[in-house]
Amino acid sequence: MTFDWLDSFLITGLFSVVMVTGLALLLHLQLGLTRIANFGVVGFWGIGMYVFGVLYVKVDWSFGDPYQFLVCAVIATLVSGLAGLLVGWLIADLDTDGVLVVTLGFATAVQLVATAQDDITGGARGMGGLDFPFDIGKVKDNELLWLSITTAVVAAILFYVWRVHRSPYGRHLIAVGANERLARSLGKSTSRTKLWLFVIASAAMGLLGAMNGVMVRFLDIGNLGIDITLAAMAGLILGGTARVWGAVVGVFLTVGVFDIVIQSYLPLPREWYTQAIPVMREAIFGLTLIIVLLFRPYGLLGDMRRDTLMRKIHGR
Amino acid sequence: MVADTVSAVASARPQIRIKGVVKSYAGRVVVNIDDTVLGASPIEGLIGPNGAGKTTLMRLIMHSTGLDRGTISLLPPTGGEVVLSNQSSNRMAHHGVVKSNQVIMDFDRLTILDSLLLAAAEGAYEQPHRIFSEKTVYKRHKDEIRHYLDFFGFADPTAFALSAGEKKLLDIVRCLLLKPTFLLLDEPTAGLPEDLTDKVMTVVRELAAAGTSVVIVEHDLNVIWNLCDEVLFMAEGSMILRGDPQSIRSHRTVVEKYLGEGHV
Repeated sequence: MTFDWLDSFLITGLFSVVMVTGLALLLHLQLGLTRIANFGVVGFWGIGMYVFGVLYVKVDWSFGDPYQFLVCAVIATLVSGLAGLLVGWLIADLDTDGVLVVTLGFATAVQLVATAQDDITGGARGMGGLDFPFDIGKVKDNELLWLSITTAVVAAILFYVWRVHRSPYGRHLIAVGANERLARSLGKSTSRTKLWLFVIASAAMGLLGAMNGVMVRFLDIGNLGIDITLAAMAGLILGGTARVWGAVVGVFLTVGVFDIVIQSYLPLPREWYTQAIPVMREAIFGLTLIIVLLFRPYGLLGDMRRDTLMRKIHGR
Repeated sequence: MVADTVSAVASARPQIRIKGVVKSYAGRVVVNIDDTVLGASPIEGLIGPNGAGKTTLMRLIMHSTGLDRGTISLLPPTGGEVVLSNQSSNRMAHHGVVKSNQVIMDFDRLTILDSLLLAAAEGAYEQPHRIFSEKTVYKRHKDEIRHYLDFFGFADPTAFALSAGEKKLLDIVRCLLLKPTFLLLDEPTAGLPEDLTDKVMTVVRELAAAGTSVVIVEHDLNVIWNLCDEVLFMAEGSMILRGDPQSIRSHRTVVEKYLGEGHV
């Protein structure tokens, strides 16, 4: 089977869609179910990417790939989870405004540290040397395999989130988001729940960051801006924060349409690609957020339907 | 009859001791109780005029509002003492101390069944890795949930609670599913029709007969006179009187400060 129709642009675009879908699904657990507005997605994702990259490139491992990749990715995931523990502890008892400020501040701090510690991270110059944990031939083939692996990881996240909706844990998260005081009166430790949710979601974001590092093979602090958080947020809100498939539908309609259709297939002037398109992308995503929140606050798929779900699981 | 002299003698049912408790807002003392024990009788009524501090006292017991000073302790029938005022509010249910809400509270995105399963589910099943445990939780609790749903006449448990009465009932059933050893009910029958009020009273009686201590704050005084074994009268933040319903009902202070001359 040949994949000649898959050019490099399309693979990169699809990878971007898959990556943001994964992040939006994790954000769905936080924002959609538990109503924690995490604006620091890029911070956890970035920690995963940079910890992975630094370990992979700078440490002289006595073994090669794929073990080198696995060890670095596991450490990156754990470090992102630890960052989630710290941020989760800080925000556990804060209101929405507090959560917003802390998570945004955290993401900014990650970018500043990555920039300032240039002897380790490469700073503004960036850092190369990353590679695929396998070599099956041409670069395109490696990219395609990596896209498939990343898609499988995101599909696993999708399955987990889908199961969470059908589990006592999901109900617990929804209760914390809907009425934390009432949940506490029922004996639920809401702070601990939020803390663990942050640890798990942040660790998974870190893993996705590490996987992104492999795909781009060059770490650039420009990736640590608001773009990825905004993309995940815009996609999730457009699709519907409370629905499992909201993240998938929304990201396909935002990142998919922009990164694949507009960037790859519209005959745009070549000089736009360096400056104008990234700015246009952020502006369009921001505008999408405003329009959706004004006219369809529950997104395209609407609010969750626990009544339908309960009938499906337990009958009437 | 004066509450301050009540001693905390261990009994067959749990009690709550309130000692030296003071709570004030903006300099105004709203609760000031020297020494009182709740739960000496199976069902106790707490009455008093608006602003007497009844609801604040309930919140202080549940630690959803912090004390200025003093201690509130649970005295389990097995002996020992658990200082509730040191515990976080979510720990109360673990000690068997449960309270219904005066103001209607609900989880707007959860159905009636969801809400009851949430109350009944053990914490071990609500962990991030237990994503296949829904059927287990349902199987463990469906009988008791079905019992209450049938008893109170919820038509479709997979729907959302819509009316204020339904939400109020749901709040009470959630409390019952927590299997309280000490149940505080804050105006449980407010807004309920007579037949459901009777059903709530029946459940409370059954619960008390099974060993649960019940303290009920209620403005429907017929509920108090008919249901309670003992009544405590609160005014201006203090516990003024306690006694059997008949003696409290005819007490001069209660008539003057609360009931009015025409009530007896």
